[in-house]
Amino acid sequence: MLAYITRRLVYGLVTLLALSIIVFTLLQLSGGGPLDRLKLNPRMAPYIQALTEQWGLDQPLYKQYWTWLRNYVSPCTSTDPQGCTSSFGLKNAIPIIMLVLAIAATAFVVYSVKNHWRGALVLLVWFVAILFAFRNMSIAFNWGISFQGAGPVWDLVFSRVGATFRLGFTALLLALMVGIPLGIYQAIRQYSFFDQLGTTAAFVAFSTPIFVIALALQILLALKLEQWTGVKLFYVTGMNNPGYGEMSFLQQIADTLQHLTLPALSIALISLAGYSRFQRASMLDVLHSDYLRTAKAKGLPRRRIIVKHALRNALIPIVTLVSLDVAFIIGGAIITESIFGWPGIGRLYIVAIGTVDYPVVMSIVMIIGIGIVIMNIVADILYGVMDPRVRYD
Amino acid sequence: MTEPLLKVEDLRTYFATEEGVVRAVDGISFEMRRGERRGVVGESGSGKSVTAMSIMGLIEPPAGDIVTGRIVFDGQNLLELSEDEMQSIRGGRIAMIFQDPMTALNPVYTIGDQLMETIVLHQKVSKAEAREIAIQALRDVQIPNAEHRLNDYPHQFSGGMRQRVMIAMGLSCSPDLLIADEPTTALDVTTQAQIMDLMLHLAEDRGTAVMLITHDLGVVAGFCDTVQVMYAGGIVESGTIDDIYHNPQHPYTWGLLGSMTRLDDATQHRLHSISGAPPSLIKLPEGCRFRPRCQFATDICRQVLPVLRPVGNPGQMAACHRSEELDLKALSVDGEVGAAASEVTS
Ligand SMILES: Nc1ncnc2c1ncn2[C@@H]1O[C@H](COP(=O)(O)OP(=O)(O)O)[C@@H](O)[C@H]1O
Ligand code: SF4
Ligand SMILES: [Mg+2]
Repeated sequence: MLAYITRRLVYGLVTLLALSIIVFTLLQLSGGGPLDRLKLNPRMAPYIQALTEQWGLDQPLYKQYWTWLRNYVSPCTSTDPQGCTSSFGLKNAIPIIMLVLAIAATAFVVYSVKNHWRGALVLLVWFVAILFAFRNMSIAFNWGISFQGAGPVWDLVFSRVGATFRLGFTALLLALMVGIPLGIYQAIRQYSFFDQLGTTAAFVAFSTPIFVIALALQILLALKLEQWTGVKLFYVTGMNNPGYGEMSFLQQIADTLQHLTLPALSIALISLAGYSRFQRASMLDVLHSDYLRTAKAKGLPRRRIIVKHALRNALIPIVTLVSLDVAFIIGGAIITESIFGWPGIGRLYIVAIGTVDYPVVMSIVMIIGIGIVIMNIVADILYGVMDPRVRYD
Repeated sequence: MTEPLLKVEDLRTYFATEEGVVRAVDGISFEMRRGERRGVVGESGSGKSVTAMSIMGLIEPPAGDIVTGRIVFDGQNLLELSEDEMQSIRGGRIAMIFQDPMTALNPVYTIGDQLMETIVLHQKVSKAEAREIAIQALRDVQIPNAEHRLNDYPHQFSGGMRQRVMIAMGLSCSPDLLIADEPTTALDVTTQAQIMDLMLHLAEDRGTAVMLITHDLGVVAGFCDTVQVMYAGGIVESGTIDDIYHNPQHPYTWGLLGSMTRLDDATQHRLHSISGAPPSLIKLPEGCRFRPRCQFATDICRQVLPVLRPVGNPGQMAACHRSEELDLKALSVDGEVGAAASEVTS
């Protein structure tokens, strides 16, 4: 198992290297060097000079790439002259990462180890301890500073990650909580009116571009709803209102939800349509399987057949789909963030591409790549946890 | 005579499909005594599995429906029971094992889990007791190292071993009737023999009645007391093994016997085989359903559906207008099929 994970990590690393080379080359080929815009402003000359030196912009392409790569993986040190202030460390992400790890490890232990409850408890305590030990740790890498003068890229990116996570995970949660039960129910009641309705709705949602869904939601649930009822239920831009800091706790929650609902719904609707279709198909497969017939022939009650024998099998293929979707969501609800003025990395990415701000573009592409590699491995491990036929070797 | 264990009367199970109504089982009646081993033989698609599924109450509307009939099991008409009552019979008093052992077990639960599930359900025992019963059940089907194999998953067993597990599961609650639907078709020949042998002994020891579904008359010979031959949703002949083998009364049975490869015949020569394919169950032919393939067919066969009636040896039944006049026994013994047949039909 450990050997397997190590091997997958090595492959992942190779993939990431290849990804970075390709994207780097494409950026250089896209014409209009990163500094062209800055050059229009004569006062920028010293700044341009500094950037050129720092990134080796007057050097051949492979050297530029090498400089970028070396910087990208080096931690910030105080001696760095440029753009590595690390005011925003990994510390904000650590609780989330540790929590996810703790839950995943606990689930793993509960499923696989004999004496599971004790094992799970030990693990949980262990993770909480680590969490405390590292709670003030601050890591930053030398990702350079934005060419557009927006400050250190590390800070820039990580100040946006939280927003993207908030949006992405809400959308994912919505899609899962609705999509999967929907698909299961449709499969159990195949060809019923409800099933047909669900199928139609899923196809409509799935084939509508996300910007149409987003705009439709804005018009219907924000604009029209306010006109009809006179109450402003949802906001269409931003993550919170300006006065957020002074609000009471309840008001803060309300304000957050009012901003979050529409963009999350836009993303969720499409994922939800996909999940429900996939879940329905996988459940139908299982419902028609021989082992389900065996379960019926044993005289098990219907609920037990569905919950114990069908569901467990029908969820296995979904795990992979969802794991990959998580990476996709981290990578960004790029369009949605733009439409809703959501301050996440998606919007940052669009702006950075427009200005060929390549330290920013490269950083975001690599974050998405890393996310996909990790989620792939997680998906494979989960697959093995759920399906005893899978072996790692 | 004591009351039969199972009495099926005029059972009709139809399926609604896009092409029309499939009359998968169309008016069959038969009885089984306690401890009887009955073979159900016929080509694929003749309604054998549907018969079994009907008895188990596993025909699911709206696709399939038992339109008429009675299935009286130990004095109770199963078709009148509620789903709850049926659940206690399924797996408890009537157990069933299926054709493909590779897919019949749930891949994500251990053998022990799946065995104990049935035992706990039907015998109202504790988990620990169920475990003991499960281990004993595995030992009975000669799975070595039973107390450890209990923790293994189905994919860790070979096909033959899985079918043993299925048999253990089927017999674990001491059912009165075990329905085995082509239990060895998916296995290789040596394993087939072992499994049949095992089933024979276990059923004999416990006095369990077995309905053995197969398309292979050879398997029936070594295992069953009685046989019913099915064709296109109906029973065309029934009787003891002896009746069927040595005194067939229906041309279809005669054809099946002829198309068996005789192991004792060094030339592996087939006497005669049945040409053509079974009729569509949606548009059944008028008269005798076997008529399009029957070399003995005459005018009456075209018009009147023959009913199952006593003919041949005492207790033997066949559904053919011409049973008395055809001497099928003589034909099959002679081996001069072509000449004899054309003589009879002309
Ligand atoms: N669920 C179903 N829906 C429609 N037709 C069915 C269904 N199950 C069985 N049939 C039809 O019933 C007929 C008899 O099937 P079956 O009893 O499985 O044959 P066999 O004798 O090979 O076991 C076949 O023609 C089959 O197509
Ligand atoms: S009734 Fe006629 S057609 Fe049918 S089996 Fe007998 S002889 Fe053949
Ligand atoms: Mg069958």
